[in-house]
Amino acid sequence: MMMTAADTPWEPPVAGTETEAVTGALDRLRWTFRYKAGGLDAAGLGKAIPSSTTTLGGLLKHLAAQEDYAFTVKLSGAPMDEHWADNGWDGDDDWEFHSAAGDSPEDLYTLYDGAVERSRARLAAILADGGLDQLVHVAWSDGRHANLRRLLMDLIEEYGRHTGHADLLREAVDGLVGEDPPAGWRR
Amino acid sequence: MSTDNEPTISGPPAAGTEIETLIGSLERQRGTFAWKCGGLDAAGLRATTAATTMTLGGLLKHLALVEADYFCVKLVGRRPGPPWEAVDWESDPDWEWRTAAEDTHEMLYGLWEESVARSRANLTKALAEGDLGRSAQFAWPDGRTPSIRRMLVDIIEEYARHVGHADLLREAFDGLVGEDPPAP
Repeated sequence: MMMTAADTPWEPPVAGTETEAVTGALDRLRWTFRYKAGGLDAAGLGKAIPSSTTTLGGLLKHLAAQEDYAFTVKLSGAPMDEHWADNGWDGDDDWEFHSAAGDSPEDLYTLYDGAVERSRARLAAILADGGLDQLVHVAWSDGRHANLRRLLMDLIEEYGRHTGHADLLREAVDGLVGEDPPAGWRR
Repeated sequence: MSTDNEPTISGPPAAGTEIETLIGSLERQRGTFAWKCGGLDAAGLRATTAATTMTLGGLLKHLALVEADYFCVKLVGRRPGPPWEAVDWESDPDWEWRTAAEDTHEMLYGLWEESVARSRANLTKALAEGDLGRSAQFAWPDGRTPSIRRMLVDIIEEYARHVGHADLLREAFDGLVGEDPPAP
């Protein structure tokens, strides 16, 4: 059977513009991360490897928070999405990682998928107003503001690294390995 | 401005151009990878964790190969050089992962560092001759040729994912954790 682009929607353009290449890379990592974390029960999402406390469930909650944080607080200075109203970050920076153990798989997948949808809409809206040179809200202590390009590259690196964690965690849960989702995969 | 808490690897500029940002991002991943793999002996580089056969030494050799493949063969159309040309990849596709266990730590660190140095020189030369929209010197099996932009974004993703592997492998070996190298 002939494979089409619809079978691998995570593939970035071959020779696209800067915006297409960068947003395409981010979306490929979202797809791949979701694939590596997908279809598990609470035991699978809660499994750690002996030397680390990281779990796939913790990564789903952490990246959901990173998505919402990047496209609210960092992008525009707006408060975090209402989904985080009851968070436990006061005095516990890693709250999302360990509180994930008390969340159902359904809630974790829904939280993550919803955060990605919100992010895609917020990014599309800001890109309709201008390109990657536009300055965003987040600034260093010396007053320099990041541009949208830097915000996106930071998120790409963050995602890539956590997807690397997901690779090894998933392999430990059920042996699933591989660089990309198989053609036709859907969450 | 206080520099006490400035990270060793500063990352891309806050509001740089496309080229500055992509190269800054790649260099941050290279620097972080070097930190996570750094200062170990052969036992450290051969250790693994949980269910995987992956090792830090294997990662060093694999990323040395990826650097040579991207920035030598595909970017500028040159031969990859030793040790890659002598390998029968058809019959031994995981050669670099497997054979890293036989190499000394000096060989593995040296191989990766030399490969990165050559990549930097080749990319600088290619960007002096054209922009990121320029085509690479190879085609995918379907005939399409990616731009340099696409190649850079691909290798940034590849690096970041392998740095994620290095995070867990290093933690398993000696407990070293953290997102960025500590300030000197």
